[in-house]
Amino acid sequence: MSAMSPSERRLQKELMSLIKDPPPGVTVDAEQAEQNLLQWTIFMEGASGTLYEGERFQLQFKFSNKYPFDSPEVTFVGSNIPVHPHIYSNGHICLSILTDDWSPALSVQSVCLSIVSMLSSCKEKQRPHDNAFYVKTCSKNPKKTKWWYHDDSV
Amino acid sequence: MFRFIASFFTKLIQMMLQVLSSKKHIIHNLLSIYVKTSGGQTVCLDIDPKCDVSHIKKLVAPQINLQPDELKIIFAGKELADDYVIEECDLGQQSILHVVKIKSPKLNEVFRCSTPKANLSPLTESLDYSTFSSEDENTEKPLERKAHFYVYCPNCKGLKQGKLRVRCHFCKSGAFTVHSDPQDWSHVLQPKQITGTCENDPEYCQELLQNCEPTFAEFYFKCSEHVSLGECDQAVPLDLIRPNLRHIPCLACLDVPETMFTFPCQKDHIACLDCFRSYCLSKLLERQFWQHPEHGYTLACPNGCLNSFIREIHHFRLLDDDNYDRYQRFATEEFVLRSGGLLCPQPGCGMGILAEPDCTRITCQQCKYVFCRNCLQGFHIGPCDPVEPSLDAQGNCDVDLNCPVVEDPSRTTIKVITKPCPSCKTPTERDGGCMHMICTRSGCQFHWCWVCQTEWTRECMADHWFA
Repeated sequence: MSAMSPSERRLQKELMSLIKDPPPGVTVDAEQAEQNLLQWTIFMEGASGTLYEGERFQLQFKFSNKYPFDSPEVTFVGSNIPVHPHIYSNGHICLSILTDDWSPALSVQSVCLSIVSMLSSCKEKQRPHDNAFYVKTCSKNPKKTKWWYHDDSV
Repeated sequence: MFRFIASFFTKLIQMMLQVLSSKKHIIHNLLSIYVKTSGGQTVCLDIDPKCDVSHIKKLVAPQINLQPDELKIIFAGKELADDYVIEECDLGQQSILHVVKIKSPKLNEVFRCSTPKANLSPLTESLDYSTFSSEDENTEKPLERKAHFYVYCPNCKGLKQGKLRVRCHFCKSGAFTVHSDPQDWSHVLQPKQITGTCENDPEYCQELLQNCEPTFAEFYFKCSEHVSLGECDQAVPLDLIRPNLRHIPCLACLDVPETMFTFPCQKDHIACLDCFRSYCLSKLLERQFWQHPEHGYTLACPNGCLNSFIREIHHFRLLDDDNYDRYQRFATEEFVLRSGGLLCPQPGCGMGILAEPDCTRITCQQCKYVFCRNCLQGFHIGPCDPVEPSLDAQGNCDVDLNCPVVEDPSRTTIKVITKPCPSCKTPTERDGGCMHMICTRSGCQFHWCWVCQTEWTRECMADHWFA
């Protein structure tokens, strides 16, 4: 194997630990990630006892070669986008650790855990109030959006 | 001349004796050193690194008309004991030892007997990280030599291993012995922390100070990878680069590096040197370095720890040459802008200009471009034009032959697709999202409205938050 860049070395280690010791309800498409370390697909199951029980979602993580100094680009993809006040129908997630509050101490695993807990704490399934507007005007990359984080309770 | 020949023969005989006495040991790396006397005389010696300090005294004494037991040899802040082997002193080629005459040999003899030998080794050896860190993991001496200090060497132009040296704070003489060992970096980096005795000319230093304060040691560093270029040859200590004795993993790639960059935060965040470089580079290209009033253009711990700015900006020398140039340019620009100056808007120039606050007609001293301070366009009389002058419907314009009309295509593109930040005029592109813009330049971060091109207000939110 040719010499890996520091970001690839980090991603390789994170992938191994995610395969070996995944958070409950989270699985990574290991084969795809090993072929291209810079783009992963992660499957997430709605936790039992929550509004999303029995549902299955698909997350896409894209990494730049500046990872982990640069946050990953994380979106929901596929046919089932969770209906949630912080998740837009195009899959973009309004979560501060994905942009402003990102730090290299976080990882794919901690991002997954945050999303799982964000889903689990939801009390009413609904789209964000500005969903239609945002989806029409936003950039393809959610990291280019200047998010206005207004509610930590959901 | 006779003395020179005599000393040459003594040396020759001694060398031959050594070769004969240990047949296995063949001298092929003689160490060439200088011994400097308090009178300013310098003696050049070629010695076997395996010989001890008493041997050097025997070589030097006849040359300065003294007996070997009248001498003491000082190196790196300590007097060297007679049985100390030169090899263990961390001496490089053409290093300088200092020799002074003992004032009262008998008294000194008593003193020396009571001094444990461990105290008579030079600081470069005794001051390793086991004394700097309170942990005792490395009590067993590792077989391989570990580098204790890293420096930026202006001579080798790069990160090198360094050696700690000591001199008198006042007369700068290397014939100086410290009263205590430095215990941490602050003792070494801040002046006047450790007292000592200047052995070069104690009366002179005391007179200079008029006995109102003790003589202090001054610590400095040398590069260990090039032959010493004399007493002025110095290197900048990179105190945040340290051996990773506690095996902490890099915060980015999670490897456990041998040499680490320690962020100056309370939480032991470290990075390997590769990851530190890529951290600097990604922040540099996004122009996210911070202009700190004391430390300069710098970065903090990537995990956002409080008060974790890097103080010694020579650490950014770890960037390659092109990017270090870029770092210096950005730092200068940021400094000029912070000081109320402005940058020449001409593509390829960017000269920093400090002008009178009420002067609007600015002439760049570098490229001679004359521009308006307010709109950064070519100088004009009357109010600034809100829009670029453009061709009329037929494509005609009044052509002034003195005025260059051809513009750099990328500059034109920038003008077309960007709007300047109303605060610092950084060209800004909006590619989606709302109209609330936050200037990305780290020193600015002005909140402005893409539509109004003024400060972002509640009205903007109500009227045109989204397009």
